Amino acid sequence: MYARRRMRQWGRRFFQSRRVCECQRGDCLPMSELTEGVTGTVFCNNDLRTIERGIYVGAKILIFRNETEEPNIIVSVGDARYVLDRRIAMNIRIRVDELQAR
Amino acid sequence: MNMNKIKTPIIALAGNPNVGKTTLFNALTGSRQSVGNWPGVTVEHKSGSYSHNGHKYEVIDLPGIYSLSGGTPDELVARNFILNEKPDLIVNIVDASNLERNLYLTVQLMELGAPILMCLSMADIAERNGLQIELEHLSSHLGFKVMYLTLNKRFNPKDLLDEIEAGLQNPPIPAHINYDPIVEQHLDNIWHGVLSSEKLSDSTLDKPLAQDIYWAVQKTRWQALKLIEGDPEYVLQLAEDDRLALEKEVRAIEKHRGQQASNVIADDRYGFIRGLVKDVVKRRRPGNWTFSDSVDKVLLSGIFGLPFFFVVMYLVFLIAVRASEPFIGLIEGGLSWLFMDQLGGLMEILKAPYWLKYLFSDALGGGVVTIGTFIPPIFFIYISLSVLEDSGYMARAAFIADKFMRKIGLPGKAFIPLLVGFGCTVPAIMATRTLENPRDRLFASLLTPFMSCGAKLPVYTFLAMIFFPGRADIVIFGLYFFGIVMALLTGLLLKSTVFKEEPGNFVMELPPYHVPTFNGIMLHTWFRLKDFILRAGKTILIVIIAINILSVIMVPNVFSPARERVSVLQVGGHLITPVLQPMGITSDNWEASVAIITGLFAKEAIVGTMQSLYSGAELSMEMAEEEAADNSLSENLQAKFGNWQAALAYLLFVVLYSPCMAALAMLFKEHGGAWTFFTFVYLNILAWLVAMLFYQITAFSAASVYWIITGIVIISLIYINLKHIGRNNVRTA
Repeated sequence: MYARRRMRQWGRRFFQSRRVCECQRGDCLPMSELTEGVTGTVFCNNDLRTIERGIYVGAKILIFRNETEEPNIIVSVGDARYVLDRRIAMNIRIRVDELQAR
Repeated sequence: MNMNKIKTPIIALAGNPNVGKTTLFNALTGSRQSVGNWPGVTVEHKSGSYSHNGHKYEVIDLPGIYSLSGGTPDELVARNFILNEKPDLIVNIVDASNLERNLYLTVQLMELGAPILMCLSMADIAERNGLQIELEHLSSHLGFKVMYLTLNKRFNPKDLLDEIEAGLQNPPIPAHINYDPIVEQHLDNIWHGVLSSEKLSDSTLDKPLAQDIYWAVQKTRWQALKLIEGDPEYVLQLAEDDRLALEKEVRAIEKHRGQQASNVIADDRYGFIRGLVKDVVKRRRPGNWTFSDSVDKVLLSGIFGLPFFFVVMYLVFLIAVRASEPFIGLIEGGLSWLFMDQLGGLMEILKAPYWLKYLFSDALGGGVVTIGTFIPPIFFIYISLSVLEDSGYMARAAFIADKFMRKIGLPGKAFIPLLVGFGCTVPAIMATRTLENPRDRLFASLLTPFMSCGAKLPVYTFLAMIFFPGRADIVIFGLYFFGIVMALLTGLLLKSTVFKEEPGNFVMELPPYHVPTFNGIMLHTWFRLKDFILRAGKTILIVIIAINILSVIMVPNVFSPARERVSVLQVGGHLITPVLQPMGITSDNWEASVAIITGLFAKEAIVGTMQSLYSGAELSMEMAEEEAADNSLSENLQAKFGNWQAALAYLLFVVLYSPCMAALAMLFKEHGGAWTFFTFVYLNILAWLVAMLFYQITAFSAASVYWIITGIVIISLIYINLKHIGRNNVRTA
């Protein structure tokens, strides 16, 4: 299992495809795993469509609605509200605001 | 104004979706507008004109887009229009309540070097949300005029028209957007190293003006940016050596920033925007909780969300079906009087031959009447949809519906076309255009015929009242419900075979709620209705004329020993009766088969056909003396069908079999011949299978075992065939 992970990481480095963010454990969370009312800052996002809609690295977000059984989440970015597919939200990493993390 | 180049100045309206672009376009051009498709794509193209101070101006309404990246057909046509047609001025409509996100498109327009005039709409919502925008300050940073635009009843276009005129006389030069120094360095390398040797640079200018030179320079920088972003339209034009040089530069940017190059560019654009917004926007209250958020807390909540959604959808259904009913009768009566009676009378006065009279008054007139009867439900559906769209609830409805629509492999937005299908299948197929993904559009179109359209209701009522007089309401409700169940089962079947891939990723904006304007709703409805009449109407008319002609071409009846002359349709009825025998249609009940054929061109025709055939003289000749004496319609029907099982099996067939020719024609227009053929064959086989199995199980006999086994074999064959189609689809993709 460990060897497979190492191989995968080596493969990513070798082919220079940084599709997954290099977050340290506990440093940031996928957007899809944040609960309602949590605010945070986008730490990593490789999806151009959502970047162009304002979910760029450094943008402040607020999780407006996240029910685990639903296929989508609603997120507030600046003055816009977006319905995001959970599959997309899973790949966006958020650094949760310190005050809330405590 | 640069009058040497173009006689009529072209003004393009650009902006994000739902910012009021079309409202402004309608306010400027009024009825002087035309709708068409952009060449090669199905993206709508709206153009119009207006006059101001004795000059004529052409206005182009570009599609609502978030960026010019070219990821969607909308973005591609907007970008290519600006690059190739070089509009004299771009009026960029920006939502003041969401300035940051809207400025992303503005920045891209600035990078194109286009002369811009910015109009801030939704100022009232911005005010309500406590936002104050310093217009002069914003204008000084951007390099062009910024003004407020209040698109309500009191909208006075004079200021805007004056500003447009001023912008055309002195085209503004937008500010320059600077990227990270390392990105700028590589951008420079690409500009000088790659583009200078390439045909991408603009060499079409003979005697360039200052504005043209500026435009050409900006275009080259834009091309360099597009190359960094990896835009295939530009990269594929490069020679192999240049492509390698470009890859080197892009890799250097990615190494420096640890991000994909396209994301680096987008991030840097937002870097500029963030600084700008911080500088020019003042927030009167902390946080950005809005009125719409408070409403959404209730309307999207677990307790109220779903019930409210169903109430709204029920109202749409009710309006489409009930409100249109009296108008259908009026239009049908009016058009019949005009096109059939009066036109027929005129032809008689002119002593025209019978075939010419039939062609004009019956076939053509009948076709016009049929299309006319579609107009009221379509009008009321479009009104309802416009209200939902303009108020902002449509996006919320799609979000709520997504939860259960995903289970059958469709996105939430597909719920609307399916709902529209209860009114009429034709606009339902047209409504699938709101879905972005072609797979979702096709899948939703294939399921719309399962929703019992308004024309099927008279058939259900007519037969249910005769065969199940005490329980007609339950039977009718059951038939509607059965259609929905079969749509779900077909959805699951197609999801696991033909459309195996997941529905498109959902990224949708929830626009703020606002009260829709009467003019806006009426204009939206009118343009959609006009589109239906002009585009779909033509195809439907041709099909109806063809079927009308088939119903009067008389041939000898090969199924009768007397060989009397009957219409081609009637022969078709006799021909298909043996196929319908396993579902309880006996060989002497050929009238039911004819009704199925006439139902192909309008479902309500089933009732008319049955009324004329089952109470006709023919019947009394064929039946025994004692029955002929009492040939009331209901008794004849009961006698011919024999038992309630056959009647219910027939109703189940009517629920599921092929939609009318008008809907098939619409399907053909939207998805081509192959999928229309697939729908026709699949629905007819499914209808036959369901009706046959129902009849054989409920009226069980020794032969039933054989038919049930046959049914199971056919179901297996359908499944294998669908799997095969799915595999082919994957291979093609």
